[in-house]
Amino acid sequence: MGSELMFFFETVISGVMAGVMYALVALGFVLIFKASGIFNFAQGVMCLFAALALYDFMAPGGWIDRLFGITLPVWLAIVATIGVMIVVAWLIERLVLQHLVQQDPIILFMATLGLAYVLEGLGDILFGSDVKPLDLGIPQGASDWALDTLGLYVEKLEVVAAITGAVLVTVLAIFFQRTRIGRALRAVADDHQAALSVGISLRTIWVIVWSVSGIVALVAGIMWGSKSGVQFSLSLIALKALPVLILGGFTSVPGAIVGGLIIGVGEKLAEVYFGPYVGGAIENWFAYMLALAFLLFRPQGLFGERIIERV
Amino acid sequence: MNQEHTGNDVLLEVHNISLSFGGVTAIEDVSFDIRTGEIRAIIGPNGAGKSSMLNVINGFYHPQQGSITYKGETRPQMKPHHAASHGIARTFQNIALFKGMSTLDNIMTGRNTVMTKNIIWQALYFGPALKEEREHREFVEHIIDFLEIQAIRKTPVGRLPYGMQKRVELGRALAAEPDLLLLDEPMAGMNVEEKEDMCRFVLDVNEEFGTTIALIEHDMGVVMDISDRVVVLDYGKKIADGTPDEVRANQDVVDAYLGVSHG
Repeated sequence: MGSELMFFFETVISGVMAGVMYALVALGFVLIFKASGIFNFAQGVMCLFAALALYDFMAPGGWIDRLFGITLPVWLAIVATIGVMIVVAWLIERLVLQHLVQQDPIILFMATLGLAYVLEGLGDILFGSDVKPLDLGIPQGASDWALDTLGLYVEKLEVVAAITGAVLVTVLAIFFQRTRIGRALRAVADDHQAALSVGISLRTIWVIVWSVSGIVALVAGIMWGSKSGVQFSLSLIALKALPVLILGGFTSVPGAIVGGLIIGVGEKLAEVYFGPYVGGAIENWFAYMLALAFLLFRPQGLFGERIIERV
Repeated sequence: MNQEHTGNDVLLEVHNISLSFGGVTAIEDVSFDIRTGEIRAIIGPNGAGKSSMLNVINGFYHPQQGSITYKGETRPQMKPHHAASHGIARTFQNIALFKGMSTLDNIMTGRNTVMTKNIIWQALYFGPALKEEREHREFVEHIIDFLEIQAIRKTPVGRLPYGMQKRVELGRALAAEPDLLLLDEPMAGMNVEEKEDMCRFVLDVNEEFGTTIALIEHDMGVVMDISDRVVVLDYGKKIADGTPDEVRANQDVVDAYLGVSHG
């Protein structure tokens, strides 16, 4: 293979991997939007919060260490963090959502905006604001195998992220399509009143869906935290998830994945091949341009439900 | 019509229900009962408070005054979740189906209150949850056969014609194996043929499963034909209550429907 072509493949692969990382964040948005029609601005902060808690449970001088004089092994820390995210979901339902039933989406959106700041502040108070290296033993660096046999440079962490993403999506898809709770989630998304009439409890469903998206946030937080350390700028990856959602459609789980891949690959290719002509650094805004173009021609996204509103 | 299995035990009774929204009174001091096994019609002109009454019974609306006795238990108001889990199922005047979901999935949601395996098993999609899913699927297939909607099993209900959607909605309500079935204008907007089908289903449900039915309907022919007893509301008040023949002969009812000259 010519080195030109090799370079193209390397660019695409790193784009795919970056795309999976975006998709992981976008997934959390989709889950909540599907089940409650709320655009959860706090999703990015939830990633941050989960990663902070996870780090803290394993670190000397963290809460567990201070309270019990021990640090948790990785798997136990993950379980404990999942527990924390479920408690957070329950609190959010109790303190925020419950009081805003039947309100306009914009009001719920504003509430999640406030929630983002509360969670960020809480994370700061509880866990401190310094950058923390998250090391769960996920292999780092380039894959020797890919380098030797294919001559390609591939990050191990990104491969792990891709596999994790694939597993997560499969599990969620089965959960949504085949189980009673999954059906109830979709039912609530479709029609609140009808859902109530068949005995679905809105409050339980909301706690479940926020818990699930908290767990998804944890996975995204782990991946991003392992890549660039757990730091408060992590909450800004929520902004990168926006164009992904616009491309994929706000209500589609597969859409989040495909949207993430398109954005990831698109921005890497654009950076490498068009960047030099316009002075570089277009990776930062390319995704938003793409999203803008989509809004003009296909506002429901690639997989979203067609937007029909009765006037 | 169905007198042979209309027992005299009361399944549900509303006592002196009053409901208002702000300053607007929707229901004023209405009492009536629904006996086990009967088909009970609630009729009245537009805005008489019929749908509000159904919403009170299944807990969507909470009346300011009065109480509801269901299965011998009296409470000031019902809660939707409680009503559903204690055997009250309903359909809506403006169909409320889950439009993005298939006919099968819509009817499966009706099994919600009867399916009990916990979320952990379901998340794993394994063990008891899988077995349970199959059993309920089987039950739902019976309902699909009963309502003759095999052909649209996998179709997203948003794409179905109106009459079919009404039928799917009935299916979802039946899936809960209700003791009391509330039907809000099950035949509204249907052509003659669809109405006949729906009448047949309602009568079959009542006779074969012994389900008690309370229905709101505007088609007087249908009401007089299939119901055992009729309660008539007008401007939120009860003006008559009795068998179809008694109600038909009642002067207040005739006035309410035809208007009365205040000469």
